[in-house]
Amino acid sequence: MTVGAGARRGGATRGALAAALVVAAPVALGVAYSTAGALGLAGAGAQGFTTERVARVLGERAVWAGVAWTAWVAAAATALAVAAAVLVAVAFRGAGRMDRVARALAVVPLPIPHIVAAATGVLILGQSGLLSRLGAALGLVHAPQDMPALVYDQWGLGLILSLAWKELPFLALVAMSLLATRGAALEEAAQTLGASRWATLARVTWPVLWRGLLPAAIAVFTFAFGSYEAAALLAPSHPLALPLLTLERYTDTDLARRGDAHVLTLLGLAAGAALVALHEWARARWEEP
Amino acid sequence: MVSAAEVAAMPWDSVVGRARGTSVTWLMWRGDPSINAYVDGWVAPRLRREYGVTLTAVDAQGAQILNQLVVEREAGRVPGTASLLWINGETFANLRKERLLAGPWSGRLPNAAFVDSASPIIARDFEQDPAGYESPWGAVQFALIYDSARTPAPPRTFAELRDWIRAHPGRFTHDQQFAGVTFLKALMYAEGGGVARFQGGFDSTRYAEGSARVWAWLDATRPYFWRQGKAYPQGVAELHRLFANGEVDFTMSNNQNEVVTKVRQGIFPPTARALLLRDGTIANAHFLGIPFNAPNPAGAMVVANFLLSPEAQLEKQKPDVWADGTVLALPRLPPEWRSRFEHLEQDPRQLPRDSLAKYARPEVAPEYHERIQADWRARVREGGT
Repeated sequence: MTVGAGARRGGATRGALAAALVVAAPVALGVAYSTAGALGLAGAGAQGFTTERVARVLGERAVWAGVAWTAWVAAAATALAVAAAVLVAVAFRGAGRMDRVARALAVVPLPIPHIVAAATGVLILGQSGLLSRLGAALGLVHAPQDMPALVYDQWGLGLILSLAWKELPFLALVAMSLLATRGAALEEAAQTLGASRWATLARVTWPVLWRGLLPAAIAVFTFAFGSYEAAALLAPSHPLALPLLTLERYTDTDLARRGDAHVLTLLGLAAGAALVALHEWARARWEEP
Repeated sequence: MVSAAEVAAMPWDSVVGRARGTSVTWLMWRGDPSINAYVDGWVAPRLRREYGVTLTAVDAQGAQILNQLVVEREAGRVPGTASLLWINGETFANLRKERLLAGPWSGRLPNAAFVDSASPIIARDFEQDPAGYESPWGAVQFALIYDSARTPAPPRTFAELRDWIRAHPGRFTHDQQFAGVTFLKALMYAEGGGVARFQGGFDSTRYAEGSARVWAWLDATRPYFWRQGKAYPQGVAELHRLFANGEVDFTMSNNQNEVVTKVRQGIFPPTARALLLRDGTIANAHFLGIPFNAPNPAGAMVVANFLLSPEAQLEKQKPDVWADGTVLALPRLPPEWRSRFEHLEQDPRQLPRDSLAKYARPEVAPEYHERIQADWRARVREGGT
């Protein structure tokens, strides 16, 4: 390496570092302010340094019920969207017209805003929604209560379906490009070496897909975990999803409870960060020689 | 920067002079298209024409207003962004506690002379003395809303409501926010021996007795609520949707006339009606405040004064505008304005004035609101103890 190339690389590194700092700065500021808020040093109702708030919030059953419920919904929605994306990518990877039409259909929800996707969920899945009205037309549903509850329901089924539908196109695009760029050559090599169709699928196609999809799936999970608007429209009042609980505390009529929101925000951030760290660790293990 | 109290000490003509050519940012709830249309389409053009004041309404509700002002103070942001706030009740209490309101100023508005200061509903805000730190804007009364075609003989008391709910499983619920909590407070008055027991500041013993009756009433009826009382709509907008779609037979509103505007907007069926329970329903007023760091207190006072004018109050009360009750005392108005108020178009869905007055109950100290909401969340919603 020449001296000149090293200097150029140094300049590029500094530029990249500056860009990364610009991206990270608002998050760092937010974390700093939330930490101050959690410790009673900033925000409405702040009364001076205390760790009592953190201890109280982390000791609440409603908080952990909310975390567990939100994690369930995010995991189920991510799994559903990944499964559908893999299915679409594998089944319609050809160049035929059917394949192209199917691939195009799978990305239709991409430009739809999240809040519209959630509102669509209410209109279709609610007990007086389109599905229920269709059921009524077919004589299956006689009153709204006959329709199974998919909105504000204990398991968050409507929320899971809406999130999965909205996230499918993003994952499908990633899966399709994985197969097109990395999959094809490896599969060809495997088949040349005598692997059967199923062996190729199990040993080549699937590993390429799931390793490649994992970062995207983690992004989808953390997004779903922190998403407010879909939960506001579709989630039940108990357990209260973490984003809803956070806003409820932030706007509590009791000023002393507003700082709780900062603890909950940091908790949500910690969950996302832990997941990213887990992925980095797993990737480092695969990449070991 | 000239403070609101300093501006309030000036002759009114100088206040109007200072306001000319300025703009006022108003933080207000923007969730109702009819209110927005009144503010943007009727109030704002008149302010520009008559006072040279440009009004910009920005969306923020009570709790968010307080959070925003706290952050502005922490950031040392003086002057701040907003000059006028739409507030009442516990928001007013919290803003005063945190010293985020400017004042006193409201008594200096020329139109304050018309205000019905003898009414306990208007002269007090959740038992608090506005003390010149907020100016009344409107007065409303809580009502249940039902569809007279679906429910021809609705319940008229909390006892009848309990029987009705038990006879019609899955057809009643309330929301988790302001309207729902107001419903629970009215239930506490009714079951707990009347509003008088809860007046005169917060009393934890009386709260414990009153709220115990509320939990008992709910325990007896909740299994017959919508979704067996295990899920509740977030806010009153979601409850309205359930009612409009026939999932439940009742919704509720803090404004007895909301049924009128919602029918005219085609959101509720024409047969929808408001209903006052004879045990009493809570009436309250809503107010305008000026924040401590208001960039334009003179402009804010001109806007608040205009909103108190007979002209603006009359327009606001029209059934096809907003149907929000006036805070002015009709006998104090010039005769021609009095007669225009008396001859306001009446919608057949509006409740008669005398029954509204007969069943009106005042708000009590904001701590009752705070406690019953927190305890409902812990005991009922989360199914704890």
